Amino acid sequence: MGSRTVLICDDAIFMRTMVGDILQSAGFEIVGEAETGVQAVERYLQLRPDLVTMDIVMPDMGGIDAVREITKQDPAARILMCSAMGQQALVVEAIQAGAKDFVVKPFQPSRVLEAVNRVLAA
Amino acid sequence: MDLAKYAELFRTESREHLAEIDTALLSLERDGDASHIAVLFRSTHTIKGMAASMGYSAVEQLSHALETLLDAMRCGKCALDQVAIALLFDGSDALSQSVNDAVEGRGHLVSHAVVALLERLASAVDANAPVSALSQTNSTHNSATYDQDSSATPNAFPAVPQSDHIFGASLLPQDLGGLELSDAVAPVKPTIAEKTIEVRLSPDASLKGVRALMVLARIEAIGTVRSIVPAQHSWNDDTFDGTFTIAVGTSRADDTIEASIRGAGDVSRVTIRAATVGRGERETLRHVRIDLRRLDTLLDLVGELVITRDRLVRTSDAMSENGADRVLAGVVHDTSRLVSALQEEVLRTRMVPVGQVFDRFPRLVRDVARELGKDITLITEGREIELDRSLLDAIGDPIVHLLRNAIDHGVESPETRRRAGKNPKGRLILRAARDRAAVVVQVEDDGGGINRDAVLKRAQSQGLVDPDITILSDDALLKVLSKSGFSTAVAVTSISGRGVGIDVVASRVRTLGGALELKSVLGRGTMFTLRLPVTLAIVRALLVRVGAETYALPAAHVMEALEYDAGAVVTLRGQETVTLRDEVVPLLRLRSRFGMDHNCDDGTHIVMVEAGGHLTALQVDSLIGQQDVVVKPYDGVNGAETLFTGATILGDGTPALIVDLGGLT
Repeated sequence: MGSRTVLICDDAIFMRTMVGDILQSAGFEIVGEAETGVQAVERYLQLRPDLVTMDIVMPDMGGIDAVREITKQDPAARILMCSAMGQQALVVEAIQAGAKDFVVKPFQPSRVLEAVNRVLAA
Repeated sequence: MDLAKYAELFRTESREHLAEIDTALLSLERDGDASHIAVLFRSTHTIKGMAASMGYSAVEQLSHALETLLDAMRCGKCALDQVAIALLFDGSDALSQSVNDAVEGRGHLVSHAVVALLERLASAVDANAPVSALSQTNSTHNSATYDQDSSATPNAFPAVPQSDHIFGASLLPQDLGGLELSDAVAPVKPTIAEKTIEVRLSPDASLKGVRALMVLARIEAIGTVRSIVPAQHSWNDDTFDGTFTIAVGTSRADDTIEASIRGAGDVSRVTIRAATVGRGERETLRHVRIDLRRLDTLLDLVGELVITRDRLVRTSDAMSENGADRVLAGVVHDTSRLVSALQEEVLRTRMVPVGQVFDRFPRLVRDVARELGKDITLITEGREIELDRSLLDAIGDPIVHLLRNAIDHGVESPETRRRAGKNPKGRLILRAARDRAAVVVQVEDDGGGINRDAVLKRAQSQGLVDPDITILSDDALLKVLSKSGFSTAVAVTSISGRGVGIDVVASRVRTLGGALELKSVLGRGTMFTLRLPVTLAIVRALLVRVGAETYALPAAHVMEALEYDAGAVVTLRGQETVTLRDEVVPLLRLRSRFGMDHNCDDGTHIVMVEAGGHLTALQVDSLIGQQDVVVKPYDGVNGAETLFTGATILGDGTPALIVDLGGLT
């Protein structure tokens, strides 16, 4: 089996790079990136990655709506929410919308990988 | 035995179960998860048992037929499809109707509608699979002892668990008939065990509240949650340390439960114990049902006691100024403290979580939305927020109005939403929250918002708004919509009907001592906020003198009090005004408003009040002071316009009227 594929959705290049590095060093293959919710949905449908990391606040369509849209098309989608501190209510909403788990910024590589493994194991 | 006295109890309790049935049906319809059938079954079964004891045969027959259908669904003998679910909804409606009929003395009659439904229920069971003698025995047996929760799909749910079947068969002599076999096997069925699960999250886990919710979701998937400590709403508080205890009824083994909980992540410890809860005892709190009228009387008496206390304190203060007894002053002080505590406790007994009213709404929203071809999710928040019982009863109708409006005129049709790039599923939030001394209830939709321009044009054509105004603020918009004369009959589609009912809601909320607020963004949605006092019974008020009388102004609306300066009054367009920090505020002389003789300079003070979304300056003769007053209902004079929301009796025994500031301005 080839390495697991990931789609990274975040409007900040900095965050995309950071998450990308963490996941790449753990053997994941970054197959795509998205800067907006709309892009996230498009890329997901096109790439069908094993995992999506999703920022909550993005222009165009927020991460939560993107989760809704993606899980509507593919209920088995594995989405990990990336949240900042103080977004508790939004994270709850995201989980209810179908996201499988969450990590909180600032990211610690070990926590991100733990969460990723949980999402993939579920 | 005189059953009549149990009838009300039967009705109350049946309603609670019917509400549970509706909730479970909605969940079933949403996710198709067979585990909801367990809840449906339990509630239906309880109603059946109660009805049988009361001799309400129609209720009993109907609940029995529903039970049979549910059992068939549970066993996978009847498909769990939309048709079946719709049938269950009809069944729940009929059951609700027949519960009322029964209590009102028509319990022995089985209506045609019920007969027809019974036939449909029976044929649903028969059509899906002819029921053999064996499974019939089985289902009867199951219905009597059924208490197992199931998260499996219906097809994976044979009448007797496969492994047990093999186990049972291998142990039993071959010549035993199927009937005995099933009876022998039945006791081996996994039954529900009550467990208490303590979960501790890792100390360094982030967003512990969210993680705890994920754990809860996993527990809910494998059992029925009975109680949660600390309460779920406190999980978002900073003080939540990530340790919580959930009591649950489940058939799963401890290691399965623990594995499932750990799968939620960030869990450092799971402790599972058998709960010591007695059979059938679901509540961890113990309850006594008390007639509401008793509580009202109790509250009245406490109100009198508070008034008397105030007089006592006053008398005692006056005496100690004269160097009278310090011991007496001490006793008075202690008594006063106890009375306050008693008052608070009595008020608390009347507090009921708003969830009791909110639970009615998912069904309503579903039905109305279906009727109108809308697709809407209702989210309720803050179900645990408590309100005085009498307030809670009074806000039901206004909320229904607002919800209906939101579904009918707020949320767009799925196609329109799709075209606007929105989720075709509309979202309606019904939220309760504490806001300092008040409780706010909000009805928020993510629909098209109110078309202000259309409302403005219409209001101007009806002469409700100045022709030179070009834009309506939220407050102004609400004011227009609240005018009972504001007609919406002509097609202003996005708002049609909006006006109808809003005036009713606004005046209802005002009589409750609350206020209605509106926020609307075109294309994004509308939010109505009901700001309510926690209780109707006691109000903090500013006492003022007007003429020879004392009046109470609810302190929630009082912004500040100033000295009256006749020189500062300016008349603009025939309206007297005063200027407060650059804001021109209309002046209202209470003497003339109350129809007393007046002379412009009688008043020494003006009180700035905020009501109906704007400031008004009230001229009063003099200020007396602030105090809590116990509200007594005030009926006013028949047919006369009432300026008062209630009356109170002051510490010295004299009455005072409580001014309806919303109605005054």
